[in-house]
Amino acid sequence: MRPGFSPRGGGRGFRGGGRGGFGDRGGGGFGDRGGGGFGDRGGRGGFRGRGGGGGFRSPSGEGGFRGRGGSRGGFGGGRGAGGRGGFRGGRKVTVEPHRHEGVFICRGKEDALVTRNMVVGDSVYGEKRINVEEGETKIEYRAWNPFRSKLAAAILGGVDQIHIKPGSKVMYLGAASGTTVSHVSDIVGPEGLVYAVEFSHRSGRDLLNVAKKRTNIIPIIEDARHPHKYRMLVGMVDVIFADVAQPDQTRIVALNAHNFLKNGGHFVISIKANCIDSTAAPEAVFAAEVKKMSSENMKPQEQLTLEPYERDHAIVVGIYRPPPKQKK
Amino acid sequence: MIGRSKCTAQLSNDVYIVRRRSSGHVTSLLLQLLLPSTRLKRAKMAEQSTVASDLYRHVYSFLLENNFTKVAEQFSKKAKVTPLDQNEQSLTDIFQFWVRSPGAKKRKAQTSGTPAVNGPSAKKAKKDVESSSSEDSSSEEESPGPAKTPAVTKAPAVTKKPAAAAAAEESSSDSDEDSSDSEEEEDAKAPAKKPPAKVTPAKVTPAKVTPAKVAPAKVTPAKVAPAKVTPAKVTPAKVSRKKDSSSSSEDSDSEDEGAAAGVKAAPKASAPQKKQESSSSSDSSSDSEEEEPAKKPVKAPAPAKTPPVKAKKPPVKAAAAAESSSDDSSSEEEEEAPPSKKPKPGAYSAVPPPAAVQNAPAPAGGSESESSDSSDSSEDEEEKKVAAPVKTAPAKSVTPKPAAKKAESSSDSSDSSSEEEEEPAPKVTAVAKKAPPAKAAPAKKDEDSSSSSGSESSEDEAPAKPAPAPAPKAPAAPKAPAAKPASSSSDSDGSSSSEDEAPAQKKPAPAKPKAAAAKPAAKPAAQSSSDSDSDSSDSEEEGAKEAKPAAKSATEATPAKPSPLRSPVAAARTAPATRKRRPGRWPQRPPNRVRSDSETEAKKTPAKPVVVNAKAATPAKATPAKATPAKATPAKATPAKATPAKATPAKATPAKATPAKATPAQKPEESSSDSSDSSDSETEAKKTPAKPVVANAKAAKPAKATPAKATPAKATPAKATPAKATPAKATPAKATPAKATAAKATPAKATPAQKSEESSSDSSDSSDSETEAKKTPAKPAADNSKAATPKTPAAKTPAKDAESSSSDSSSEEESQAVKTSTPAATPAPVKKTTPAPAPKATQDGSSSDSSSSEEEEAAKAEPPKAAATPTVNGTNVKRKEDKEPSSDNEEEEEEGEGEAEETPKGKKRSAGTPHTFPKAKQKAANVPFRRIRDEEVEVDPRLADNSFNAKLGSNGDWGQKAHDALRFTKGKSFRHEKTKKKRGSYRGGAISTGVNSIKFDIHCFTPPALAVVPKGGFQPGRFSAEVVDLCLSSRSPAELPLLWRCVSQCESVRQREKRGQAPRTGTPDDRRELQL
Repeated sequence: MRPGFSPRGGGRGFRGGGRGGFGDRGGGGFGDRGGGGFGDRGGRGGFRGRGGGGGFRSPSGEGGFRGRGGSRGGFGGGRGAGGRGGFRGGRKVTVEPHRHEGVFICRGKEDALVTRNMVVGDSVYGEKRINVEEGETKIEYRAWNPFRSKLAAAILGGVDQIHIKPGSKVMYLGAASGTTVSHVSDIVGPEGLVYAVEFSHRSGRDLLNVAKKRTNIIPIIEDARHPHKYRMLVGMVDVIFADVAQPDQTRIVALNAHNFLKNGGHFVISIKANCIDSTAAPEAVFAAEVKKMSSENMKPQEQLTLEPYERDHAIVVGIYRPPPKQKK
Repeated sequence: MIGRSKCTAQLSNDVYIVRRRSSGHVTSLLLQLLLPSTRLKRAKMAEQSTVASDLYRHVYSFLLENNFTKVAEQFSKKAKVTPLDQNEQSLTDIFQFWVRSPGAKKRKAQTSGTPAVNGPSAKKAKKDVESSSSEDSSSEEESPGPAKTPAVTKAPAVTKKPAAAAAAEESSSDSDEDSSDSEEEEDAKAPAKKPPAKVTPAKVTPAKVTPAKVAPAKVTPAKVAPAKVTPAKVTPAKVSRKKDSSSSSEDSDSEDEGAAAGVKAAPKASAPQKKQESSSSSDSSSDSEEEEPAKKPVKAPAPAKTPPVKAKKPPVKAAAAAESSSDDSSSEEEEEAPPSKKPKPGAYSAVPPPAAVQNAPAPAGGSESESSDSSDSSEDEEEKKVAAPVKTAPAKSVTPKPAAKKAESSSDSSDSSSEEEEEPAPKVTAVAKKAPPAKAAPAKKDEDSSSSSGSESSEDEAPAKPAPAPAPKAPAAPKAPAAKPASSSSDSDGSSSSEDEAPAQKKPAPAKPKAAAAKPAAKPAAQSSSDSDSDSSDSEEEGAKEAKPAAKSATEATPAKPSPLRSPVAAARTAPATRKRRPGRWPQRPPNRVRSDSETEAKKTPAKPVVVNAKAATPAKATPAKATPAKATPAKATPAKATPAKATPAKATPAKATPAKATPAQKPEESSSDSSDSSDSETEAKKTPAKPVVANAKAAKPAKATPAKATPAKATPAKATPAKATPAKATPAKATPAKATAAKATPAKATPAQKSEESSSDSSDSSDSETEAKKTPAKPAADNSKAATPKTPAAKTPAKDAESSSSDSSSEEESQAVKTSTPAATPAPVKKTTPAPAPKATQDGSSSDSSSSEEEEAAKAEPPKAAATPTVNGTNVKRKEDKEPSSDNEEEEEEGEGEAEETPKGKKRSAGTPHTFPKAKQKAANVPFRRIRDEEVEVDPRLADNSFNAKLGSNGDWGQKAHDALRFTKGKSFRHEKTKKKRGSYRGGAISTGVNSIKFDIHCFTPPALAVVPKGGFQPGRFSAEVVDLCLSSRSPAELPLLWRCVSQCESVRQREKRGQAPRTGTPDDRRELQL
């Protein structure tokens, strides 16, 4: 199998996702820019190595998914012609499954966390893609950057269970632009569903674009505090992933859990201490949040710091209304 | 000094501030200037300054003798002191005497401690300071008490002198302090006696006052007296009217001086302050306003010496003293040291006559009256002693008067709180018995009893007993006393130290004397404990006082008691009284005068003089008016109450002195509380007293208020914790209990108030004889600082709280004092005073209040009283009320709530609320919003560190490089670095799939060794031997993280080695197993 990160045409380095730059989650910067080639035209952006763009042309050729990235000069051929991205095209890389089902590790000179791209040829936010050919089938993996995604950070950090696996139904609170959601979408695969709830319309626009190409994503632009507003759209789910960074996030999760999470379902909550109380010690904040969860029929099972990928963050995984028998 | 002043400052009471600015400044200045003088001297001087005008003269002469011309000039300017007679004792002598006195040691100890204490709670501080000063230096407090009494001559004289002379000495003997006190008292007596001539006349009034004060003083004497003293001073300085005077009296010397001032002062230059005080006293009698003024004046004086401390103490003491004098008297008696101080004051008081001169304001009249008061007080004490037996029961309730007297004695005895308490109890009983007959007598008795009770010393008791008779009258007397006490209290305040109490008593006495002179009845009533005397009619009171027992209500109180007792004991007492008065006079006297006036209209003359002197006619009028009405009604209404009244008065006076204004409120409260506490007649009596007090001078009210608070405090106090508040409450509680006791009940009430203070202090300690204890405690509490340490704490605190809360500490103290006094003696006195005040009082309302209070009393009026008090309190009352409320609020709202306090509370609320609310607001405002309080969250030790390095498997992790890059970044740079990582250029090396999370399921304390070793046993090659050893050896949870780190490192290394090979399928599982 061909090591993943196949350089994209032209042998251009596939380096990084080239979203122009700094944008965080801004929607997929390049992707679908209809026309023409950017990549090659070097010069524009300056970000060295960033050229990656070339490769990702949305299959559909839809015009503009340009998200915020548009104006960023990101694309230029960063690397000059022929520059190879980090993962050298020719280099052999192996992709092995992670213990979390649906997550893979691309091992090469440098390891990378990847998910199998559900929409081949599409890069959501400029992330690198690695193509592996097994015989006739081409499998494309997308690099998952832990600095951009807390779920990836948790996986890299060594969380025991994420409870998100192929076929599971996930409610994603705080979907933002859909970068992580796209990876969750990859994990759950076509059999699974992702209810992506985001209250911000700006972010929601990007999310909608992501959802257009990923049929297992159901974007919901609503306030997660009011689950009754989207109750008609959501069925029972197996897992709730929350990255809402709100002082009352535990309550928000609990509300949604009460409405949509099956008994014995799980929740994965990312806690940003500074959003709860910036004056208190992060550890105390986490402990306090964990305590709150316990009072909401949400039994925390494990906690993990997101250092060094995030500062003063922790992720808590637990079970909702665990069946009595499960308790040992 | 400085410490005290600081403490005072901490109190942050307006009164204190005022005092500070006025006299405090002088005092501090003086002290600073006196380089040669030893610290003790300084302290003494400070105390003295605080104590009262009596000492001023001494100080002044001392300065002159030592060629401190400039200082002397300044001092004379500020203090308006006249040179000392050559015949008089020199400051050095006094100091020596003081040093020798047992109380001194105590005081020192306390004082030393006090500052810190003060720091915490203004009240406490004050109390402590006061108490410490007063109590600690029993001489001081005692002296203050005595001083007050002396100064007040009226009550103070009675108290101190009594204590000093008869009870005082005995009491001194009774209580350790007493012993010292007694000595001092003796000295005081001697001086007092001189004054006696005046005293006699004054005595009448003083007698009443004294009773009241005495009772208070005795009750709280030690503590109360001190407390009062401070308060008294404070209040006096501020507005403390009667209270001031009383407080001053309580305060002792300074107070006495203040009182004297009050009495004399009114007339003289000190007149301003004194006038204020007197006015305050009158105010107290009338309303808080007057009291405030009185207090201010008083404070001013007090400040001069130990303004702050004393001020504080005075309040406490005053309150306590007042209360204690009444109830606490026992405790006070314990404090009696104060009495002993009083004695000194007395000695000073001896000077007092001169002091009177010094006080100039009311000098002749005031001084004399004071002296007479003091003599009266002494007489009262004697009477009390005599009466005491009768009233024994009343003792407590009666105690009030006894308190005043007792205050002295108590102050003396105060030191031995238990003793005092015991004695008080007897007295109380006696009082109870007598009380009914002649409340005034009871009051006196109370005082005496208190004193007696306070100071176990038979002397005290004896006085108390005599007092009892007076006590009955005492009620009246109390009121009168209250008035006087107020003055005396002011005096006491001035004396702040133990003297304060005595002064308070003395003051009362003096007041009475004046009253006696003018309205002998008033003082007699007051002093004689003829609470009723004062109430009934001043003249009656006097007679009562003398006659105390039956007569109490009767006029006897005023004339009879005052003069008789005075004459006998009076001599000595008078001296003290005079002294006290002098010191307190400024502040106290006014009150005294007012009180006396109020108390006995006859006294009014004297009182008026005082008033005039001090504030002016108005205050005096107010007081007188109130006094008369209140007294009459109250006293009559509740003979038993009379005792309480006395107590109250005593307290009131003391309290009033400073508290004067506040005191009124407090007294009302106290009375109310008292009444509420023990609905007994006592309550009524208390109410009456309280009202009287209120009426009398605001001081009286203050006293009551304080008492009320005290009582409440006691109720809570029992709680002790509340310390101040609690104390006050505690007192109430005690009071109630006491009341429950029945005869004691009244006393108890009185006591409660006082006790509350004391009890507060006492409560903490042990409520000795509950009633007595309470009273005493209350007083002690008031005096806290001074005498009863135990009490002092609670009592003081409460008192302070009350005071501070209400108006300044002084007011609080006063209030407490008042309360204390109110409970037992105070009530009667208060009533009397109140009535008088009301009438006279500028504050018609106050008068009306007093009258109303009286009516209420009749009704049992505690509530009414409270109301009355409130009204009366008017300004002063408000302060007191405030204090009370605050105290109430803080501690319990018991009293206030329960009874009359309603009004008081209302008023208090108005005044007090502000304090309370502000506090709350402040707290709220200052506390930042926090969703999570670190200290309240329990963090799992495994989760205590959220850092990367603390994470399992952090070493060699894919994020290691990122961690290295981001570790030292912060803010913008962190963002920048992280952005670079987001670009995808990050190379982290190998990715481990190990599990590094922390499971909640696993017991955090599971020894790693257990987890690891058991798991697959020891696998050589897999983990290094070190790790295994580590695991095996490590048993402490603390090592867990480290251990796990080691293990994870090993694991990661192993994984790396394996890399490239088959995925570490087993790794995760292994790890889990390890963890499990």
